[in-house]
Amino acid sequence: MPLFMMRFTVRTDRWATIGGYITGFALLFLVWHLAATYLVKSTLFPPPGPVLARGWMLIEDGILQEQIIASLKRIAQGFLLGSAIGIPIGLAIGSFKPVRWLLEPWTEFFRFIPAVAMITVSVIWFGIGEESKVFLIAYTTIFVVIISTAAGVGAVGRDKIRAAQCLGANRWQVFGLVALPATVPYILTGMRLAMSNAFVTIVAAELIASNDGLGKMLWDARLFMQIEDIFVALVALGLLGFATDRSFRFLIRAFAGRFNATV
Amino acid sequence: MVFVTQGADVALVSLQGVGKTFSGRTGAWEAVRDFSLDLAEGEFFCLLGTSGCGKTTVLNMVAGFEAATAGSILLDGAPVQGPGADRGVVFQGHDSLYEWLTALDNIGFGLRLRGLGRAERREKAEHFLRMVGLTGQGAKHPSELSGGMKQRIQIARALANDPRMLLMDEPFGALDAMTRAVLQGELSRIWAETKKTVLFITHDIEEACALATRVGVMRRGPGGTLKAIVPVDLPFPRERTSDDFMRVFRDVHALIHDEIHGAH
Repeated sequence: MPLFMMRFTVRTDRWATIGGYITGFALLFLVWHLAATYLVKSTLFPPPGPVLARGWMLIEDGILQEQIIASLKRIAQGFLLGSAIGIPIGLAIGSFKPVRWLLEPWTEFFRFIPAVAMITVSVIWFGIGEESKVFLIAYTTIFVVIISTAAGVGAVGRDKIRAAQCLGANRWQVFGLVALPATVPYILTGMRLAMSNAFVTIVAAELIASNDGLGKMLWDARLFMQIEDIFVALVALGLLGFATDRSFRFLIRAFAGRFNATV
Repeated sequence: MVFVTQGADVALVSLQGVGKTFSGRTGAWEAVRDFSLDLAEGEFFCLLGTSGCGKTTVLNMVAGFEAATAGSILLDGAPVQGPGADRGVVFQGHDSLYEWLTALDNIGFGLRLRGLGRAERREKAEHFLRMVGLTGQGAKHPSELSGGMKQRIQIARALANDPRMLLMDEPFGALDAMTRAVLQGELSRIWAETKKTVLFITHDIEEACALATRVGVMRRGPGGTLKAIVPVDLPFPRERTSDDFMRVFRDVHALIHDEIHGAH
């Protein structure tokens, strides 16, 4: 590390990060403003001013929150369901060879069928209500979590297991007290990846079949040519995704920082 | 095949004609051939050899991590079948520690497996934390400890379980020379305190001479085997610049010289 960087403490580092984020976002809006005002000069690409004003209006009317909450609720439900199913399956695949042989064709088959491709089937099966969305989010979550969890079990250091064995651990103690906690960082990383998939999927699902949510807002705005509304939804998605990912990373750090995880 | 159980009543561990052949896609590899050794209760035996001579394979077989493909390994007269709490192992790398546990909980891990209560576990773990010179560091996680400290935790973890013997696989191999010398001194003191039987694997002649009551020199592999055993009758703590130490060092060095030259 060069000497001039040494004086950064953890605290100043954190403020530098936050300051960097704010500057980065300000720059993004500035570039957007310049591009819309001087480059494109079209009503089809509004600058950030009117978009933010429209966003504020939608917040005051309580409409934007409604759409955001509708989408986030679906993501949360599907994400938790998918993780709850995916983690045990991943652990089983990573731990037992016969389970791996049996289930690997499943995971390798389904992970190449994107959730977006499953929208039609899901609507036919579950209708355009909540169930189809939750199904799709769970679907997109499961396979990422399974693969990441199974990889984590496979990556548990040989000496960790041997150390437990020569301290007197039986099979179940090795699994519960060594393999499982050693896999936690992998599980959390898989869940974080799945979360970004969930954002992609929810918008696509709501675009095609839904009564509310940010995807539906995008679709309606296109129908009625409300350009500002489109951009409000886009900005909301970006900010939500960013906030969700950061808080997930924060949670991983808080819970698993001592695991020395690379997150 | 008939085995002569020579001195099975005095030997804690007895290896008789032990061999290990690994079979892989590139063919069979004979790592250890016809290896015989009796370890007496309370002795500190250093197994010295060049890299690839099969010394770690010997330790892995005594630990029960790998099965011998020839001969027999007896512990207290009973054949070794897999790893067990009677043989505590200290590994070369410190990734055998559990990062999600504190130093104290790492030390108490074996006690937890045996179902000891929290208070009792803590008290015992504190005792061994003190023994390895880490008083006050118990609440730290392995990622906050230096390499030398992690090896101390490993030693404390193995000892806290009160095994019949310690198996140490080049435990100081990855440390810098200064830390290594300090830890060697500490290990001698701990060994004198606990009177544990130790099988210590190393490729460092000086380390072997400083720690061992007997040094076993291995012949270079494939088919590594015991070449000679040198008793080291020097008092502890050992003065590494003394004439007596130098004499032992030269004896051992002469034995391993041929093995070093030609083992590249």
